[in-house]
Amino acid sequence: MVVRRQSPPKPEHGMKQTSPTDSPRLSRREWFARSGSLLYGTALASILGKELFPTDPLLASGGQSYDLRPRTPHFDPKAKAVIHLFMNGGPSQVDLFDPKPLLRKYAGTVPNRDLTSDITSPTQSGGLLPSPYSFSRHGQSGMELSELLPHLATRVDDIALIRSMYGAHFNHEPAIFFMQTGRTVATRPSVGAWVAYGLGTENRNLPAYVVLDDPKGLPVNGIANWQSAWLPPVYQGTRFRAEGPPVLNLDPRPEWPAPLAKAQRSLLHDLDRAHRRERPHESYLEGRIASYELAARMQLAASDALDLSKETDKTREMYGLNREETASYGRRCLMARRLVERGVRFVQLYIESQIWDAHSDLDKMLRYSCGKTDLPVAALLTDLKQRGLLDSTLVVWGGEFGRLPLSQTQASGVSGRDHGPSGFSVWMAGGGVQGGTTYGATDEFGHKAVENRVSVHDFHATILHQLGMNFRDLAYERHGLHERLTDQFPARVVSEVLV
Amino acid sequence: MLIRVHSWFAFPSILLTGLALSSAASGAERSDLPTFKADVLPILAENCLMCHGQEPRQGELDLQSAAALLQGGQSGPAIVAGSPDRSLIMEKLVSGQMPPGEARLSPEDIDRIRRWIERGAPREYGRTADGDVSPHSGLPAVSEKDVLPIFQVRCVACHGKRRQEAGLDLRTRASRLKGGRSGPAVLPGDPDQSPIIQKIESGEMPPVEMQLANSVRPPTAAELQLLRRWIAGGAPSDPPISATAEGNGGPTVTEEDRKFWSFQPPVRPPVPEVLSSRLVRTPVDAFLLARLEARGLSFSPPASRLRLLRRAYLDLVGMPPSAAEVEAYLQDRRPDAYERMIESLLSSSHYGERWGRYWLDLAGYSDSEGFGAHDRFRPYAWRYRDYVIRSFNRDKPYSQFLMEQIAGDELADYRKEQVTPELIDRLAATGFLRTTPDPTDAPERGFIAERMNIIADEIEVLTSAVMGLTVKCARCHDHKYDPIPQKDYYRLSAIFQTSYDPYEWLPPKKRRIPIGLERENEEVAAHNRPLKAEIRSLEKGLLKEAVPFLDKLLEERLANLPEALRQELRALAHTPQDYQGGELSRKFLVVRELPEDESSQVRRYLAGKFKKTLQIGLADLNRRFPEFGPKTESLRKQLDEVKGKLRTEPYVRALMDTGGRPSTTFLLKRGNHLSPGDAVTPGVPAVLTTGLTPYRVDPLKHAQESSGRRLALARWLTQPGHPLTSRVLVNQVWLRHFGRGLVPSPSNFGRSGEPPTHPRLLDWLATEFVNRGWSIKALHRIMMTSTAYRQTSRIGPEALELDPENILLSRMRRGRMDAEALYDSILKVTGRLDPTPFGPADALETKPNKEVVAKGSRAGFRRSIYTQQRRYDPVSLLEAYDLPRMTPNCVERENSTVATQALHMMNGTTVWEHSRYMAGRIIDRVGYDPRRQIGQAYLQALSREPTEWELERSRAALEQFAGHWKSRLRDDRAPTPVHWAAQWRALSSLCHTLLNSAEFSFVD
Repeated sequence: MVVRRQSPPKPEHGMKQTSPTDSPRLSRREWFARSGSLLYGTALASILGKELFPTDPLLASGGQSYDLRPRTPHFDPKAKAVIHLFMNGGPSQVDLFDPKPLLRKYAGTVPNRDLTSDITSPTQSGGLLPSPYSFSRHGQSGMELSELLPHLATRVDDIALIRSMYGAHFNHEPAIFFMQTGRTVATRPSVGAWVAYGLGTENRNLPAYVVLDDPKGLPVNGIANWQSAWLPPVYQGTRFRAEGPPVLNLDPRPEWPAPLAKAQRSLLHDLDRAHRRERPHESYLEGRIASYELAARMQLAASDALDLSKETDKTREMYGLNREETASYGRRCLMARRLVERGVRFVQLYIESQIWDAHSDLDKMLRYSCGKTDLPVAALLTDLKQRGLLDSTLVVWGGEFGRLPLSQTQASGVSGRDHGPSGFSVWMAGGGVQGGTTYGATDEFGHKAVENRVSVHDFHATILHQLGMNFRDLAYERHGLHERLTDQFPARVVSEVLV
Repeated sequence: MLIRVHSWFAFPSILLTGLALSSAASGAERSDLPTFKADVLPILAENCLMCHGQEPRQGELDLQSAAALLQGGQSGPAIVAGSPDRSLIMEKLVSGQMPPGEARLSPEDIDRIRRWIERGAPREYGRTADGDVSPHSGLPAVSEKDVLPIFQVRCVACHGKRRQEAGLDLRTRASRLKGGRSGPAVLPGDPDQSPIIQKIESGEMPPVEMQLANSVRPPTAAELQLLRRWIAGGAPSDPPISATAEGNGGPTVTEEDRKFWSFQPPVRPPVPEVLSSRLVRTPVDAFLLARLEARGLSFSPPASRLRLLRRAYLDLVGMPPSAAEVEAYLQDRRPDAYERMIESLLSSSHYGERWGRYWLDLAGYSDSEGFGAHDRFRPYAWRYRDYVIRSFNRDKPYSQFLMEQIAGDELADYRKEQVTPELIDRLAATGFLRTTPDPTDAPERGFIAERMNIIADEIEVLTSAVMGLTVKCARCHDHKYDPIPQKDYYRLSAIFQTSYDPYEWLPPKKRRIPIGLERENEEVAAHNRPLKAEIRSLEKGLLKEAVPFLDKLLEERLANLPEALRQELRALAHTPQDYQGGELSRKFLVVRELPEDESSQVRRYLAGKFKKTLQIGLADLNRRFPEFGPKTESLRKQLDEVKGKLRTEPYVRALMDTGGRPSTTFLLKRGNHLSPGDAVTPGVPAVLTTGLTPYRVDPLKHAQESSGRRLALARWLTQPGHPLTSRVLVNQVWLRHFGRGLVPSPSNFGRSGEPPTHPRLLDWLATEFVNRGWSIKALHRIMMTSTAYRQTSRIGPEALELDPENILLSRMRRGRMDAEALYDSILKVTGRLDPTPFGPADALETKPNKEVVAKGSRAGFRRSIYTQQRRYDPVSLLEAYDLPRMTPNCVERENSTVATQALHMMNGTTVWEHSRYMAGRIIDRVGYDPRRQIGQAYLQALSREPTEWELERSRAALEQFAGHWKSRLRDDRAPTPVHWAAQWRALSSLCHTLLNSAEFSFVD
């Protein structure tokens, strides 16, 4: 599948030298010094380089070697990790982030033909539906938010709200693929995989890209959400389960006597060393031995990372772990913080299938979704900030599209809203984002993004940029193509929301 | 409600209504329309016209007038009226691609242009609504080819080849003029009176309630204008396109382009003379040695007999030899024992399972659709898998293999032939181009953009796997590196237009040929018969429960309607009596079918109008009556259970020609189906002509329903002198044997790919392959009996210095088993392999720890190729070892070494359970003597005896393991005899360790 890089003097992993306008390239040492906690610093990098991730050209079957060693970004990064709070289902912008008083005036009418162009089910479509919620200004920035988000309202000065996102498709599957991969098709790597490919991990005992999906079920598109597609599989997201052992087969088999695993590992070690001794210069064998040792360490590291009993009661309460409504999402938000703290590069949270997808019963669904997430999300921002992690962690919140300002009427008779890909809201926080910013606007009804529009590719470019990567240069050679997250689409970094 | 929603259709100038309102609403001062002259031209004049004016006219783009923007340049129209999102100029401005260099337009200016486009890009006249000026003046004449795409995209789903609603066919000019039951659709010269314009403008067409079901959207404002202009200009027709006329414009492929090595037919080179001629066993050796000797190198010494045996087994059948096979080989002292062993492996039925799997990678085979939440299963996909395995086992000539896969349905008339296994095989072969994820069974995912993606994926499969070309870029623009103009891409696409018609699309569930062998049909019918009876009786029971609720709900719905209608409608609703079972609960009440005569005209109208009111199904009752669900829960559960047991009627998942007059294929500017360019005819890349009979479509005598386009492609591809076909395949076989292709980029033989390391060897093999009747087994023999293949993989000091990357093959390459080889090998060495071939894929199950494993049977577990190849949640062990995601196919496997692999191997269910089984069988065979146990375990797992050191180390480990197990068994108060049970478990742990060893999974 992979077409190997052709010309020898290319830098690591399709990463190119920085463009002239970017800040000076960091050496790996500097990068580590900057990002450096003692635990996962320079010393570790050398261990990783030597033992774990051989780049010996003799790697098995002549294939290219791909690994998770930390890599130097193109330029000085603002963030070293991302927490992506993916709100799959399509949160309604006009009820949460984007007040449109005119909807009340024109309620029940359809004032222009364009409004109906994205409708999935033409037969169910009604007129404009005003938001039942009141909006008010918050924080020093005076950002307007809906009454459904009282906790986020306390953090508005940390977030940059983008009201002018637009997508490419009005259906979940393609729209989610679009948001994850930059294309509406099922066959491209997700943004997390690109980040893992570009930067590797800073904790040799944990994966670079961790997914915390909802114990209540997989999101639409299932595990394809965190696929590496044609990027090497090491960059695929690793599912950490929020309940039980976090990783599949992490613990030795329960029926084994306790000391057996160690005794077996010792035998394996001896046999493999002997095998290795007879095959000099085959450093991939070293990598393989190291991978078994890492597996043993990961058992401790992953369990520890997700062990919330180590948090204080106060912290647990802050995330809402003591309340049924917020406990599930709160656990995962808290886990996300613990993972980022330990050097995981990209943490992605999913939410039980489609709770934002309010085709009917708008009020009930929105109250449920906000009730579940608002407090934990705000707690995550507060917690990251008080621990000094927010500056280096980019937090991203958003769905695959928003919703139409029109009503959608089901047979049940309770109105909701249909999917709205032409204009919706997302927000970013931390990691070099200018808090308190409100950027872009939709039209007078909240239907289409019209001012300072931000495409999904712009959005991706901005995430990469905060991590110190240029979206044009983070590339992978395949079938002779210079594949990129933004593909061949035009994109720009939304610098207006950045510090 | 409906009436209110669509009230805006009634206004003649809807755009203006919306506009007036929205500008008032935004509080903008200007209440009039933005115009080109006042709002846009000044911005363009300042920033753009220096390059896109009268002179120069970069990219043939003139930005001096609104008409010229609509007209556009080389990359298509600069604007799409009413749709800034789809307007190229917006993309360029917003992204900063234009103007070039540092200059950027201010956000306000960009916004002004956006608003102008959004408002329909009105021209110089300001308020067009009151203008007497013809809105079309000054614009170029519209020809039929400009409007044909609109009919194809918006209309033919209902008024085309397969369906002619109201007797109307909108595919050709003549049929549009002729019209349908209510007269002509188009009145040349009179757009206002042409029914087609009236119906589109009033919103009657396409009908709101039909749009989703047919995945159709109404024409855009711009398209409507184009239609108007075409009709106003007299609805002219175009001369038919011809392949020669197509050549005009666009970049052409030059003779220079054609000289690139891979576009020239392979020429058989002489076998070179070498110094160490005694090392030459097959010509392969001579070619390799010539290069090695030039560097002062030679081959490495031969590998030991046992290593070679294991290597050959894993290469050809994907599993190591059994203990008995090892012993038999060691005892065979004949000089040609090795060659005999290779022959026996080539004739093993396991050979096709190994090499068929490689082909399935290239094809992108999957047992599921891979889209949406559920990853829907493809029940009969396995027929293609079996076809591939059988073809490899029979050493079917590669030319025939390709011919069947590309055009099996056109080789003979399957509609008339008797159903035989061969016929089914030939149809199943076309599954090759039916592999990519296809979500279009759901109408909301079946719009043209999705359909185009599927076609593009299949073209990618074909070109990357068979032609070694990357043509994907040419979907949107001319290829930047290879001489593949965009036009060539769409010519290729036109070959598939008759089987994958994007305009009259057949969703996957309709791409089935419902034939099976008589035996299969009977089997399924016999299996389903009692189930269907059970379903009928359960549904009757359910209906009985439902009747009172049905009546109540129907009356509630009717209560909203005028009294006069109610009785009539009541009579129209009825419960079908002649149902087959299975469909009743979906619709308890449906609208009665009415005869097509005068007397029922009114009732038919009512039936159509109130269909929704009268139809009531399970879902409706559940919604309305909360008590209905619980009351019928057990019945419904039973019903679902029984339905789940039904088997699908046998069919073949084929690619077939849809017959009739093919729709027109257009070059799509920037790959966008709403920006059609010139029409194209079917064809192949223009750069591939040297030594080839050109691509030519001949009508098929034997299968007249088929266009013959694909058969022509298959014939063109399988010409003996084709520059790519034989080289690409030979390279794939080489890659699997030697770990690296002679062309290191197996899917890219083009200019951006990597050049061959041994070009002459590649050509020699390619010509030899064709000379030997396209026999793949002949290739194995040539490669595997060579001295090169038999070398050790140990690196000597000279080789390390002079050939560090082993490009010259100074030693054999060592590699890790791929996912399937590992899985199958574990099954074989532990004695758990069920060798039953073919048939429906084995189901998977998820263990409580979430590990996904195959469901075994008493006979054990079948090879991985026979387990379900799901896109989501595949077998965990396979996934950990780089099982490819088919995106859309896989030309070369990844080879990672990561900790999750260790976790699966050490802690997973599968390997441990198999190890216990292996230990049990070893004890059955050799008893409790540890030395014999260890010897047997090594022989089975690693195809060799242990060394003295290994024996001692393993013995110590066995004792240690047994000690641990003993304490565990005692602690557990286990009823088993502690000593013997601990011995068995200790041996299980030893076997488990051997399966985990590096030596097991890395092939020397």
